[in-house]
Amino acid sequence: MFFLRYFLLRAFKNMRGNLFPNLTTIGIITLSMLIFSTFSLIAFNLSSFLKIWENKIEIVAYLKKNMTSRDVNDLLRTTRLIQGVDSVKYVSSDEAFAFMEAKLGNQKNLLEGIQPTVLPASFEIQLTKEFRNSTRIKEVVSQLKQFPQMEEIQYGQEWVETFSSVVHILRITQWILGGLLLAAMTFIIANTLQLTIATRKEEIEIMHLVGASPAFIQVPFYIEGIIQGLLGAGLAVLSLFFVYKIFFLQIAPSVKEWMVGIPIFFLPPKTIASFLSGGMVLGFFGSFVASLRILKYSG
Amino acid sequence: MIQMAHVTKTFPNRISALSDITLEVLPGEFVYVAGPSGSGKTTLLRILFCAERPTRGEVMVNGFPVTQKGFNKVHQLRRTMGIVFQDAKLLQDRSASDNVAFALEATGQFQREVKRKVSEILTQVGLQERGGEPVIALSAGEQQRVAIARALVNDPPLLLVDEPTGNLDVQITTDVMRIFSQLHEKGTTVVFATQNTELIRRYPRRTIHITGGRRLDGETAQDAKAEA
Repeated sequence: MFFLRYFLLRAFKNMRGNLFPNLTTIGIITLSMLIFSTFSLIAFNLSSFLKIWENKIEIVAYLKKNMTSRDVNDLLRTTRLIQGVDSVKYVSSDEAFAFMEAKLGNQKNLLEGIQPTVLPASFEIQLTKEFRNSTRIKEVVSQLKQFPQMEEIQYGQEWVETFSSVVHILRITQWILGGLLLAAMTFIIANTLQLTIATRKEEIEIMHLVGASPAFIQVPFYIEGIIQGLLGAGLAVLSLFFVYKIFFLQIAPSVKEWMVGIPIFFLPPKTIASFLSGGMVLGFFGSFVASLRILKYSG
Repeated sequence: MIQMAHVTKTFPNRISALSDITLEVLPGEFVYVAGPSGSGKTTLLRILFCAERPTRGEVMVNGFPVTQKGFNKVHQLRRTMGIVFQDAKLLQDRSASDNVAFALEATGQFQREVKRKVSEILTQVGLQERGGEPVIALSAGEQQRVAIARALVNDPPLLLVDEPTGNLDVQITTDVMRIFSQLHEKGTTVVFATQNTELIRRYPRRTIHITGGRRLDGETAQDAKAEA
């Protein structure tokens, strides 16, 4: 405990004594983290957006006419047992007609003289999460096709396939870009910290000469790295939050109207906590890498 | 205190700095390592404080086998010695007191102890009035005395000195040499590297002559013992 307090005090003293290099390092960490967190925010919202669309993937099975309610109930029960089916909703001809009327709004008079029975009853089949893609949805469809009571099965094949490809490409891009950004950020932070340490080369050399232990020399640098990483990450998240708020203030009302139903979130607390701890880990790792050469015990 | 046996140092660029050097310095001795510029004096001292490792040979300093494979107690070795260079190697933006205190803080000593020791040692080197001044405001001689104070503040039994009077005028050199002589009289072992033959003539001590990385006198460890 005594040593931790001592090292913390020394780290703060060193930071205060070398204010400019430390501020520069924190600034560079903030910038790197801001780029990475902006990317994460975009990726996060894109994922949320994709999830909303993913939830809309469903199968509609149109039923043959003149089915008794007992037949419908039997079919409903059997359909619910198929692997990948999460829930099934029966939509009668009357319900379908009412829905259509509601959709047409003022133009519902177009339906005048048309009997509700014209529209077939249907099953709206919701799928479990892992079946909401172009490959697995086909497994459910092929099983549904076995039922002769089903006239037609629709699931927007083309749309689902395009959507699945887009999701796949976006997720791979996220990983690759995220990985590259992370590597670049680590490299920049390690080099910046190395420069900060290099400005104190003389001091380190004297510490070596007077017999300071390796831990005495290195630990404050690691603590400095952790503090710089934490401050950099904190400032980056704060800056991103302001950018996020300003973004909403700047959006034109017409665009806002268009964007209804496309929620844009800020990073959740768990992700913010990961950023802050990630900043500390990067700061420590950066100062560790940077110190390997400069803090090596020699003359 | 110091034993060197058949020490050779060749740098990676194949420049040979020392060749088959054998010497012994006994506790309480004041020894000059003399030779012209580039003769290997500094390399010899650097081997003694473990800033360089010899290519061949055995070295023992203050009981530390510095050439032993895997030797990793460099900081402990350096706590048993004070080192003074021609360029004082001080932190220019700090005061004389802070520079001296730095050596104590770096070895983990308590603040109260640090203050007392700094005050004592600055008085010993005649800088008690100037301790609070930034090093940059001190003369070359005063800066060298701060460096000596820093080297001595941990009360080391061995002092390694590399051309400490190289940049100083005659009067200041006399003052600095007086400090070293007083230390020696108190029992500190001093190894003093210099190319200044006039200095050796004025303050005569046992002298190890080196030229081109070799000992000129051919003195052996036994000779050193006998002479001491």
